[in-house]
Amino acid sequence: MTGPRTLLVLLAAAPALWASPEDLFESRVRPVLASQCSACHAKTRMGGLRLDSREALLAGGNTGPALVPGDPDGSLLVQALRYEHARLRMPPAGKLDAAAITAFEEWIRAGAPWPETAAAAADPLFWSFQPVRRVEPPAVQDRKWVRSPVDAFILAKLEETGLRPAPFAGRREWIRRVAFDLTGLPPAPETVDAFLADSSPEAAARVVDRLLASPRYGERWARMWLDLARHADDRLIGAAPYAWHYRDWVIRAFNEDMPYDRFITAQLAADLLPDGRRDLAALTIFTESPSEVTDDDRVDVLTRGFLGLTVACAQCHDHKYDPVPTRDYYSLLGIFRSTRNREIPLAPEAEVAAYRARKKALDDWQSDLKQYQLTESMQVGEMLAAQSARYMLAAAGMDDAADLDRETLDRWKRYLARTDRQHPYLRAWDAAPGRKAAEEFQELVLAVIREKKGVDAYNRAVSLGFTTGMMLGKVVGRTMDRAKFMLWQDLLAEGNRGGGVVNSNATEDGILYYKGQTVERFLPDQRRRHLDGLRARVEAARGEVPPEFPYLLAIEDLPEPVKQHVYVRGNPDNPGEVAPRRFLTVLSKGEPPAYGSGSGRLELARAIASRDNPLTARVIVNRIWQQHFGQGIVRTPSNFGMNGDRPSHPELLDFLAGRLMDSGWSLKTLHREIVLSSVYGLSAEGVAANERADADNRLLWRAKRRRLEAESLRDAVLAASGSLDLSEGGPPLPLADPGNVRRSIYGFISRGKTDPMLMLFDFPNPNTTAEQRVPTNVPSQRLFLLNAEFMLQQAERLAARLTGGPEARIREAYRLLFQRLPAEAEMEAGLAFTKSEGRWPAYAQALLASNEFLYVD
Amino acid sequence: MLTRRDILRSVANGFGLVGLAQTLGAGAPLASRQPHFAAKAKHVIFLYMNGGVSHVDSFDPKPMLAKYDGQPSPLGNPKTERKTGNLMASPFAFSRHGQSGLEVSELFPRAASVIDDVCVVRSVTTDIPNHPPAMLMLSNGRNVLGTPSLGSWVTYGLGTENQNLPGFVVLCPGKPIAPGAELWTSAFLPGVYQGTHIQNVKDTDDPARLIPFLRNPRLDAAAQREQLDLISRLNAAHHEMRPGDAELEASIQSMEIAYRMQAEAMDAFDLRKESLSIREAYGSSDFGRGCLLARRLVERGVRCVQVFYGAGQPWDHHADIMMHQKLAPAADQGFAALVGDLKQRGLLDETLIFFAGEFGRTPTAEISVRQFLQNGRDHNPYGFTVLLAGGGVKGGMAYGATDDFGWHAVDRKVHVHDVHATMLHLLGFDHTRLTYHYSGRDFRLTDVEGEVIQGIVA
Repeated sequence: MTGPRTLLVLLAAAPALWASPEDLFESRVRPVLASQCSACHAKTRMGGLRLDSREALLAGGNTGPALVPGDPDGSLLVQALRYEHARLRMPPAGKLDAAAITAFEEWIRAGAPWPETAAAAADPLFWSFQPVRRVEPPAVQDRKWVRSPVDAFILAKLEETGLRPAPFAGRREWIRRVAFDLTGLPPAPETVDAFLADSSPEAAARVVDRLLASPRYGERWARMWLDLARHADDRLIGAAPYAWHYRDWVIRAFNEDMPYDRFITAQLAADLLPDGRRDLAALTIFTESPSEVTDDDRVDVLTRGFLGLTVACAQCHDHKYDPVPTRDYYSLLGIFRSTRNREIPLAPEAEVAAYRARKKALDDWQSDLKQYQLTESMQVGEMLAAQSARYMLAAAGMDDAADLDRETLDRWKRYLARTDRQHPYLRAWDAAPGRKAAEEFQELVLAVIREKKGVDAYNRAVSLGFTTGMMLGKVVGRTMDRAKFMLWQDLLAEGNRGGGVVNSNATEDGILYYKGQTVERFLPDQRRRHLDGLRARVEAARGEVPPEFPYLLAIEDLPEPVKQHVYVRGNPDNPGEVAPRRFLTVLSKGEPPAYGSGSGRLELARAIASRDNPLTARVIVNRIWQQHFGQGIVRTPSNFGMNGDRPSHPELLDFLAGRLMDSGWSLKTLHREIVLSSVYGLSAEGVAANERADADNRLLWRAKRRRLEAESLRDAVLAASGSLDLSEGGPPLPLADPGNVRRSIYGFISRGKTDPMLMLFDFPNPNTTAEQRVPTNVPSQRLFLLNAEFMLQQAERLAARLTGGPEARIREAYRLLFQRLPAEAEMEAGLAFTKSEGRWPAYAQALLASNEFLYVD
Repeated sequence: MLTRRDILRSVANGFGLVGLAQTLGAGAPLASRQPHFAAKAKHVIFLYMNGGVSHVDSFDPKPMLAKYDGQPSPLGNPKTERKTGNLMASPFAFSRHGQSGLEVSELFPRAASVIDDVCVVRSVTTDIPNHPPAMLMLSNGRNVLGTPSLGSWVTYGLGTENQNLPGFVVLCPGKPIAPGAELWTSAFLPGVYQGTHIQNVKDTDDPARLIPFLRNPRLDAAAQREQLDLISRLNAAHHEMRPGDAELEASIQSMEIAYRMQAEAMDAFDLRKESLSIREAYGSSDFGRGCLLARRLVERGVRCVQVFYGAGQPWDHHADIMMHQKLAPAADQGFAALVGDLKQRGLLDETLIFFAGEFGRTPTAEISVRQFLQNGRDHNPYGFTVLLAGGGVKGGMAYGATDDFGWHAVDRKVHVHDVHATMLHLLGFDHTRLTYHYSGRDFRLTDVEGEVIQGIVA
């Protein structure tokens, strides 16, 4: 075969080697266009450019014609291929070799002929966009090793590369592994005993079936999905009190083995399904954006989560690597933009109506009370302001204070002594305290108060209807001279004692400002009685408000879908063409049809949850596989695009994807097939000969020893101490609550304030979709094990749980924690450590902090 | 799986480890490593003036503002978060200081006294005039959530020198406004590179109250040592049955380090161990104490310390720029004391101090109706000032300039990305090569931007 270098020489020296330029095109140009360019520059028209016909090249894209026949140097296409153009460098993944580029140059020099042939129909797609193939397990030499079809695919590769699989793990190791894996909890000692005693061939299958049927299974596996869904129980600002219904829904979906296609459809469109009532909580996923900026977030969660595609990368420009034009991003965005958030009450209508009515009554009374108090405060303040001169003179000892308010006088005294005033109006008084200065000051004060009232009234009028700061920012109101405002503030402002935004100098109340109870001593009886009456009304109304009804957070369609434009370079102020609401081009046959009525959520869900979608089944199979083996067949589980990893076992991936769909999208069937395989049962031991060839264990010749994830670790400690509360579902409690001994998945997940234990043990950031956890091994984790109150308490409970003589207690601890009996040396070490009764908790804690407890072989 | 020898070899080869860090979560991700090339700076102290300091009232004097006070801005009013009106002179007087004669306003008299050690970059820009995206840009190099913070990148690149303390420490009494903890997240980098947030609240002098899980309330040191010896014996036996597993070995070491960390952190975080004169130099504010803690940590080999001025967005003076008067003394004192103290200890050369807010403020007065005052300034992303000191940056110089009024950077304009690129350069990194492969692409602090500002590199 001719190497590229020889070809280059041949082409340069003797272009006539090719019988005709048409031949050159067919053998050297068309194949490159098809394999390197068509994914982005055929149907998807990235950069507005198609490269699938001569006319299309001549017409060019956004940057101009791609081709000038006869002039290779002047053709954008060649400039881009040579990587000489300032911006256009194609293909993006790497420059073609010189021979290929020369072929393009020759072809263009010869006038760029483009014969229409059947070959043009061939459009090889990137692997993940190709339909899932029907594959049969390959033949292998060691047929005895194959327990599940999965094994044939693994073993075939191992045999091909001459690698020998590690020996099988022991039965004790296996049951510990599969129990943690499927339920996130250690196996109970009785379960282990029963399994070890059961020599029948179905023993393992019986264990697996029992684990899969246990509610503990959903509590473990839902977490994988919740990581992807960036689920949390609050927002970066504000609360999300009923988000836990979504968590419970996901757990239930896993436990009921909800078909995965239904699982998808429910999350996008449960409200549009005829039988969707039970699944409304699924809709919460798209209300869970961490901040108000939801665009990028929802498209990202949708496409990375369900499709393993990074479509959000196409927000500002066509995707740099995948055939996703910006228009496609806005097509999906338009679907979400055509929805709004809605609360679905989880209470009878009457209860909801009663709550709302009572709540409104309370709000009204509170507002009346507040208004009245405010008015009284201001009136009292003005009344006192009109006596400023008297107070000042009295404060300076120049007048008698007999009929003045004591506290006000004290305040004046302090104020007149201050040196940090932000206005000049007391300078005359400071220089020469006396009646004249005092009276002039009083006049000024009264004038400033009048001015302030005028400004207030105007601003209220122009800002009518605007309540938030952002909106106010758009309104131009009247303002005051700074010095006068400072004077007003010193006398009459209500102090701003908290809050992040420091916009006011007034951290303390003005000296003439009284509110609440303190204002009342200035009031005549009648008004005081009125205030008391108002307060009583508020309290009565408060007592009548029933607890707020619970509700689901969901999305619903807007009455009219929006017309979403492409935002050129991601800038909403620069709208481009309209992006019809529809599915991704690369995953559609032909031009995807625009969605008609409503937002198009249901159509979108159907397009994702489809047997014809090449990504959906592959992506979920890979996620499940990754959880079982610690690495995916594709190691970038949320990116199956060009820049993602390539599958280590593509046939296996397709085989399992096909099986999943054939089984009615049953994830439990998939788990079963995987964990009952030989490859799953391998030991974590190294095999020296394999280390060199495949140190990464990409071909899965052994198991991966793994540290327990945060939730499993906490749950396992609680299980060991006998404290674990297995009640299911319901509102979350902080994990750090000393009394919280429920499974960790039911803990409160905060977007801003991650639980310290979760954070230490690699819980992912809940503000973006998380495709896998990155396990770390750092000292601060060990500080937790050594010193956290949680560990100390559970160690005490574990110690208290152990009964009998010292040896019996140690044996029991080993059975509970490690599913085995202690070796002689371990027994001796234990006995030596527990020589006094008080040492048992410290001993129990040492076991809980040991590597054997933390790691699963 | 990596063997221990692999890990040691990659440590010996310095930077080789970084590329491997992904598979190395379990290995020695915090081991100190060499950067791409030799560099002076080894530590970063990032003094975060959250809320946005006004450059035209602090380090970027604009005499024209005084001249045109109260008049419409001849350059127009570019779009900012809120509506602004006419130009407003700075109420604060500027004067020249030091050998360099750099002008500093009366808000920062102490910083002025060390100005010859400070590089004043007056032509910085950012993208968006709202707090959350601009704060993210300054901290994480992106306007959106989901990417690692500067401190995480630095710790990922260099590891840390003291294995008994966290590599990246964040000091903030309370939380900065949303996105809060996102400002020190490791995002997709391994969790060990996340900032350890410590609430340096004024009244807490006891490190055991500052740092969670630092002390065992039940066991004394001797009893805990015995317990640890038992754990070590069990772990050793466990490891013996599973030879060659580097992760188990790292786990064993982790436990030992944790034990030592208890004593080390008790010492490092205890300001009571400083002399009275040092404590007075830094001042008693949360921020001043944070600066002093930062020095103690850096001295002990912590890689990066990020000190926030305060919770919320304290510098955000929309209504009244005079409020800067209340905040400046603590910032001024902490910053100046830190520069002086590090210099005196010979640590300034290897410590890069970065003093910056997420944007500057408008030369025009804001005219929203809040608070009835029009004496404040809105956010200005088009041109603002940051300070750099130590770590191989030129002192006593101003770099770049804004226009006559302080609206736009015009001379040698730079972006936050460029400042980040420069900081990484000063630490010995080619910012385009300090990358992490995640979800199918290589990510870096500077996204796809950033050029080193050669003019400020000594």
